[in-house]
Amino acid sequence: MGKSVDTPDGKLDILKNISLDVKYQEAVVIKGASGSGKTTLLGLMAGLDQASSGDVFLFGENLTGKSEEQRSSIRAGRVGFVFQSFHLVQGANALQNVMLPLELAGIADAQQLAVTSLNQVGLENKTSTLVEHLSGGEQQRVAIARAFAVKPTVLFADEPTGNLDAATGRQIADLMFHLRDQSGTTLVLVTHEGELLERGDRQILIESGRLLSG
Amino acid sequence: MKLGRATIHSYWLMFVATVITVAIVTSSQLITDRISLLLDRQASELLAGDMVVISNREFDPDYRDAALQHGLQVSSSVSLRTAIFIDDDPQLVELKAVDSAYPLRGQLERASEVTGDRTVTREIPERGRVWVDTKLARLVGQSIDLGEARFDTSWLLTFEPDRGGAIFNLAPRVLMNIEDLEATGLVVPGSRVRYRLIFAGAQADLNRFKVWLTTNLKSGEEIQDLENARPEMREALQRTRKFFALAIVLTLIIAMAAIAITARYTANREASKVAMLRAFGISQASLFHYYLRQLGGLWLAATVTGIVLGWITQFPLEWILDGWFGKTMPQVQTLKPYFSASLVGLLALAGFSLPYLINATATPPMQVLRTAVNRRSWLRGMLITASAIIAVFAVLVLLMQSSMLAVATLALVLVCALILPLILGWMVKLLLFSSQRRFWLRQYLLSRLQASSRGAIYVMSGFSLVLIAILLIAVVKDELLGSWQQQLPDNIPNYFLINIRSDDIAEVGAYMRQHGIDSSTPYALARVRLSKINSIDVDKISFTDPRAGHLVRHNFNVTHARELPDQNEIVAGSWLDADNPRAQLSVEEGMANRLELKLGDVLTLTSGSKTLHAPVTSIRSVVWENFKPNFYLIANPELLADLPQTGLLSAYVDAENKIELKQLLKRFPSITLLDITELMARVRNIVDKASIALQFFFVFALASALIVLLAAIQTGRHEREIESSLLRALSAHTNQLYRVHVLEFTLMGALIGFFSAGLATVAGWAISVYFFKIDFHPSLTVWIYSLMSSSLVLTIAGTLVSRRVYNISPMKILRS
Repeated sequence: MGKSVDTPDGKLDILKNISLDVKYQEAVVIKGASGSGKTTLLGLMAGLDQASSGDVFLFGENLTGKSEEQRSSIRAGRVGFVFQSFHLVQGANALQNVMLPLELAGIADAQQLAVTSLNQVGLENKTSTLVEHLSGGEQQRVAIARAFAVKPTVLFADEPTGNLDAATGRQIADLMFHLRDQSGTTLVLVTHEGELLERGDRQILIESGRLLSG
Repeated sequence: MKLGRATIHSYWLMFVATVITVAIVTSSQLITDRISLLLDRQASELLAGDMVVISNREFDPDYRDAALQHGLQVSSSVSLRTAIFIDDDPQLVELKAVDSAYPLRGQLERASEVTGDRTVTREIPERGRVWVDTKLARLVGQSIDLGEARFDTSWLLTFEPDRGGAIFNLAPRVLMNIEDLEATGLVVPGSRVRYRLIFAGAQADLNRFKVWLTTNLKSGEEIQDLENARPEMREALQRTRKFFALAIVLTLIIAMAAIAITARYTANREASKVAMLRAFGISQASLFHYYLRQLGGLWLAATVTGIVLGWITQFPLEWILDGWFGKTMPQVQTLKPYFSASLVGLLALAGFSLPYLINATATPPMQVLRTAVNRRSWLRGMLITASAIIAVFAVLVLLMQSSMLAVATLALVLVCALILPLILGWMVKLLLFSSQRRFWLRQYLLSRLQASSRGAIYVMSGFSLVLIAILLIAVVKDELLGSWQQQLPDNIPNYFLINIRSDDIAEVGAYMRQHGIDSSTPYALARVRLSKINSIDVDKISFTDPRAGHLVRHNFNVTHARELPDQNEIVAGSWLDADNPRAQLSVEEGMANRLELKLGDVLTLTSGSKTLHAPVTSIRSVVWENFKPNFYLIANPELLADLPQTGLLSAYVDAENKIELKQLLKRFPSITLLDITELMARVRNIVDKASIALQFFFVFALASALIVLLAAIQTGRHEREIESSLLRALSAHTNQLYRVHVLEFTLMGALIGFFSAGLATVAGWAISVYFFKIDFHPSLTVWIYSLMSSSLVLTIAGTLVSRRVYNISPMKILRS
């Protein structure tokens, strides 16, 4: 599959002839330089965007030609996300942030599941703290708790330690892989950090929109 | 650094808000100046000029010369009472001799017979002819003797502009040419003659001449101008000006709220740019100069655009009002409205945006690495508040030229501005933490409102302030005008029956009741003159109010009453004690103020050879413009028992009752009938004009409100898009996104509507009671309008926002 966008200077190919399989419970790390197309690839795999050519399958369903609404339904309750900038809802506390995807998916005991998930990331004492009052590392823990709360089949993480110091980044990486090991969640992770690269089952190198290894 | 296209784009809302502010000031100043000129001119018609000097003696010729030198037009008239004989019966008439320039303002109306068409004329009676009052209609075509000369009666005089300030004293009018006056031989030493010198011209010339005249005025001469002429008209004009002032202030507040919100939005947008520039070593001072230049450019462009827009928008209103007034609105000859507008634009822009930009230029370079480092200090918060207060105050003082009104309005605005964020923030918190059970939707919405990064509380407060102002203009205005108009209902008296013999008073009252003619209680009048206050001759008292002279130099009516007349209110002391026969006086508030009277002061009143002494036992407020009999002094009946009295009553007489009225006049021939329909129509006209002009300012208010709404939508748009993108990534469906956005705005609208209605009610009450001094009735309409309009407008806005947000790819969350 491929992805291209129209620019004032003409058509720009961001991804070209990508062919990739991610197996169930596999941890795949996508690496590459800035602008290489790794975040675009992650978005296409998660169904956040549409490929310009070729097909993308998620849970056996072809995302090509599906509307945003249909792709949302495919993701619902099965996909988790962790972002570099955390993307928590400001003005809401940690518990409410973790409950958000559970309630969006219509899960009844959202609060209980959210509390459990926060316990798993070590934030049992911060459930009622507004997220803007948490440290960067704690905010990313809330984001991880939110991602794992729905018991996702696949977790997509985009530079999850990119905004954190080395020590905190290490803790977050440990936590994420620990939870992944516990739950057997498939992990697709975009990074350029050496330590995270080593932890994946498989590394995929992308350069100028082309898959060089993997 | 140059003002790039991107920067201009980021400033566009602030630019539009400033344009609207400048346009409001330009247009409102032009329109109010023009309406004021027109209303003054209309009121001038009741004086037949812009200013009149009245005396019992002939005027020094210097007055006329000086007036001409000051560029004014001059006309003179002489009036006196004399008797004519009709079928050998004497009839007292008010003879008035006028020159060819009369009237300088307004026009005479005449008719050939009572039922004939009234025609406006610029002529005055030719020499040897007179025009007579409709009460003397049967004399038309006949000759009458006035003193030693005989005149032909050629026309009925149906209207003359200056038909006397004291409408109860009129005998039927006879109008003649001043050239004929000498021939009558009526003006001889000792005769009671009133000389009037009437002036008209430009306001500046009049003001200069008034200064000259005041210093040269001789004893017994009195100046009358619009301010001290007809009390009914004066009240109507003053109230109209207050309504305009209120509407302009409120509209401006909305416009300035728009500037404040857009300035905050712009400053927030600039913060990251400033952080980057500071990281590169650009000094805070350089950045400040950079923004100062940008603001200067913005002000210049907005001022020019606003002035042009304001100048254009005066024309639709002129077109509407022209039809109503039936004449062209005078042009404003000064550049003051344009200077005021540009100055207001500068003050508002600088006052609201500079502190934000100072704050923005202080953004620490660290923000490049980590956002939200620049937490606004307490000192900066104070700077922003103080600067806004000074800007609003300066604008209000500049425009209102009345610091008291400015302070009152400012206080109202400040209370609202300070209270609103607190109340709204508290309310959101209360709702947010009232339940932790389910997060989705309600909690999520509230958390969105509470998020400080979006500034939703401030935007809501700004919007609420706007809504309060709109409610005050649109709804409370109706209440205020309504209660004003209630004083002028359709069946207010249109006739005064005066000179009723004291023996006939009861019988006339009974006749009116018997024939179903809606009339007031008959009042017995005695003519008195105030000679002493606390045993000191009034001539020896120096009053600070120049209008006091009129009250102490002339006879006026005093009546007696057991009951407090309708629409009179005791403001000090207590109403006349019916069980106490000792002398008591109730004094009208204006008279008390002018003569500096207080409770317990003893007034000495003289009537012919009789002298009365009575203490002031109460002070009353009077609604002068209600056209009911109103009195400066009301005594207890015992006090006036020995004085000659005549009766007075007012009545509403429609076409059907006119026959009964004619029969009444036949039965009681001494009665003089005074038709005040014309005067009443003029006052009612002013009320109507005020209402229309206010609707016009409402359009500006709505335009400003739209800017506030756009700013509200723009503010936090980025965060809203990111959050929507996040929700998409977390598998939210379209209807869930729709609910989030629409309900967020609906909830915001409901909260704003609720608090705005409450504060508008309080503000409306304060304005009615303290500013317009009329009763205030809280209205459910205000609450319904407020809640519905606010929820509806914001829901529509929310829907529009949602439509944009639906199309935002969840990829945005990865890219942000």
